[in-house]
Amino acid sequence: MIKKTIGAWFEKRFDVKAIQEPLEYQLRKPLPGHISWFHTLGSMSLFLFASQIVTGILLLIYYRPTADEAFESVKFIMTKPYMGWLFRQIHAWGANLMILIVFLHMLRTFITGSFKKPRELTWMIGVGLFILTLIFGFTGYLLPWNQLAYWATTVGTEIAGAVPLIGEPMKLFMRGGPVVGGETLSRFFVIHVIILPWLVFFLVAVHLFLVRFQGMSTMDPVDKEKPVKKGEGIPFFPHHIVKEGVVFFFVLGVLITLSIMLPFELGEKADPLKTPDGIKPEWYFMSMYQVIKYFPKLVGIFVVGLAPMLLLIWPFMDKSSQRVPSKRPVSMLVGVLTILSLLIFGILGTLSETKQTFFGKTYDFDIYGVPHLINNSPVKANIEHH
Amino acid sequence: MRIFFLIAFFIGYPLSLGFAQDVSKNYCISCHDDQWQDLKNSIHGKQGITCEKCHGGDSTQKDKELAKAPSTGYVGVPDKNQIVQICGTCHSNVEAMNFYGIRTDQLARYKTSMHGKKLFNDNDKNVPVCSDCHGYHDVVDVTDPTSPVYPLNVPKTCNRCHGNEKLMKPYGIQMDMFAKYKDSVHGKALFEKKDIGVATCVSCHGSHGALPPGVKQVADACGKCHMNEKDNFLKSPHAKLIDQGNFPQCVACHSNHGIQPVAVTLYDQACVKCHQPQTVAFKEGQKIKGLLSKAQQDLQTTQQIVKQASIDGLFVEEETAILEEAKTKVFEMGPMQHTLSYTNVAELAKQVDTKTKDVQNTIHEKRQSLQMRKIALWPLWIFIIIMMTVLCIRYKQLSSNHDKKH
Repeated sequence: MIKKTIGAWFEKRFDVKAIQEPLEYQLRKPLPGHISWFHTLGSMSLFLFASQIVTGILLLIYYRPTADEAFESVKFIMTKPYMGWLFRQIHAWGANLMILIVFLHMLRTFITGSFKKPRELTWMIGVGLFILTLIFGFTGYLLPWNQLAYWATTVGTEIAGAVPLIGEPMKLFMRGGPVVGGETLSRFFVIHVIILPWLVFFLVAVHLFLVRFQGMSTMDPVDKEKPVKKGEGIPFFPHHIVKEGVVFFFVLGVLITLSIMLPFELGEKADPLKTPDGIKPEWYFMSMYQVIKYFPKLVGIFVVGLAPMLLLIWPFMDKSSQRVPSKRPVSMLVGVLTILSLLIFGILGTLSETKQTFFGKTYDFDIYGVPHLINNSPVKANIEHH
Repeated sequence: MRIFFLIAFFIGYPLSLGFAQDVSKNYCISCHDDQWQDLKNSIHGKQGITCEKCHGGDSTQKDKELAKAPSTGYVGVPDKNQIVQICGTCHSNVEAMNFYGIRTDQLARYKTSMHGKKLFNDNDKNVPVCSDCHGYHDVVDVTDPTSPVYPLNVPKTCNRCHGNEKLMKPYGIQMDMFAKYKDSVHGKALFEKKDIGVATCVSCHGSHGALPPGVKQVADACGKCHMNEKDNFLKSPHAKLIDQGNFPQCVACHSNHGIQPVAVTLYDQACVKCHQPQTVAFKEGQKIKGLLSKAQQDLQTTQQIVKQASIDGLFVEEETAILEEAKTKVFEMGPMQHTLSYTNVAELAKQVDTKTKDVQNTIHEKRQSLQMRKIALWPLWIFIIIMMTVLCIRYKQLSSNHDKKH
């Protein structure tokens, strides 16, 4: 009765059928038969983005973006408002999970060859979204204004400053002064809560439009794709939506569990006069940070800068028409090597400048991540000293 | 022009008092160069005060006979009485000393001191005079760390005589004061921590007016620094004994030169000196001791709890602030116990108890809240697993129906 009344109310004012039909079409449009659980990663990225927006808005109620108040306001959020701690932890863990899931989504797209013609633009927008997600992480990391955040931002902006020609003005633009300070915080805050969310929102909208408009990629070779006929494949609704619901509940559980079991500590307030030992970036920048160490400054930045560029133009470099991984051995080798290098350099970066004990022996890892056995014998140590 | 007048005033004023002398015409130096070396770097030498101011004579005369002629007021090496008088000539002159901001009652005070009385009344030449403590030609400012009367050096300076058995024996004065002081809470603060604000000999006995504090003045001497303790002591039942003149006040419990850091065990050691363990007074003391012990123990335990909570990642700023208040109350109990009033001490103890319990409860609640968060994961995961299972079953049904259809 109510449904009918509301329907009638709209029909008198709008051409509802004209809107309903394409929506219905999109909803019932079948997906290719090979669609797996990994095809839910895109939706999960979207879910995490929405979660970040909601928790971000809640954090904004109490957050104060000034050097004097930022740290205290985050501490306030974590101790006073109802469930403030949970929103902050979900926001922090959500950022990390979002980067991981966006990366896995890209990896799935890479493996299934979905980035190939005619979906090059969708891939490029996806790469842009991944880069923006990383910038989200970088700008958000400074906002609690604690020691780790302050010094990681100092190192990060210093690296950006080493880029030839544009580096120095870019560093000054990011910092708002010669050093990281209140101006930097204001800038990062504006980028994090205004510019990036809207930019990501519009890019996601275009990305989704393209995915729906061009349809999900099949495993057929390029230019030989057969459209999925009605009755074939898997209906988007309700079949795929139900599948996404399963993954949604799982990701939600993981997100809340991580927030409770492994909460991010706030640490000490930023002190520009006290440099902590072993400043390192977050895990998602660790491999890049480590790679830079092995090369002269400019070469290192060039190498690191090359990766996103290659990622962006990859659809134009991988010219083979095949999408099935077994028929693209070179691409798969490049993919495996990339993943391995990310893991190896990430581990080396984590171990560098630390002391670790393995099998009862203590090793001192230098800045390159090379272990040096620490000689515990006082006699030998004395000889070495002399 | 104004600067000129200012310079002229500051240079000219001391000169006008007749202190400054032209050293190039001082012929004493030609023979007494070693004394001159000491004098020229001293506080007096720097003000242009030279030989004849203390020793008389005419330093401008090249001829020794003429320089030391009786008409010149030549004193030579002054004896102890003369030293006091010579120093006092300038140092009791308000007009002369005003310029330097130095007090002028040293001579008057010295005359009232045990040292001064012995010198002037008994003509006892063993007593110290100005130069024995301050030095002779090489006198430096009392704020100069090399001065024998700089706070850090005072105990050693006094001990030069008071630690000399031969010198002290005729007077029947004990000689272990320095050793006791060195090992005392004051001595350790002075010698180990270099705390020049701590009590030295002169803080209790006075400097120029050095006298041992009489029985009635002990609380006054200690009370110069320990004001709250003194005020509270005067409210105690022991204060009534002061007028009877046979109660050594602070010294009765704390001793004098060898004062040790105070612990509640003092109630067991000191009270029994005068009170039998069965007496009401002793038992009252034990009750106060109980309050102090509990308050200290509670504070220590709570500090440990807060520290551990901080290590475990809890925010404890508010608890730390409350704990500071509790700590202040424990500190207040120190002076307050000198009233020997159970009620007064109990009032503070109650506040310590309330605050420490508050802190402990808050930390406990925070820990419980953390625990509850983890427990809440169980129902959450049960809900999630149910939802996932239901959706999986639905997906299977949909897939099966779809496969059957096509």
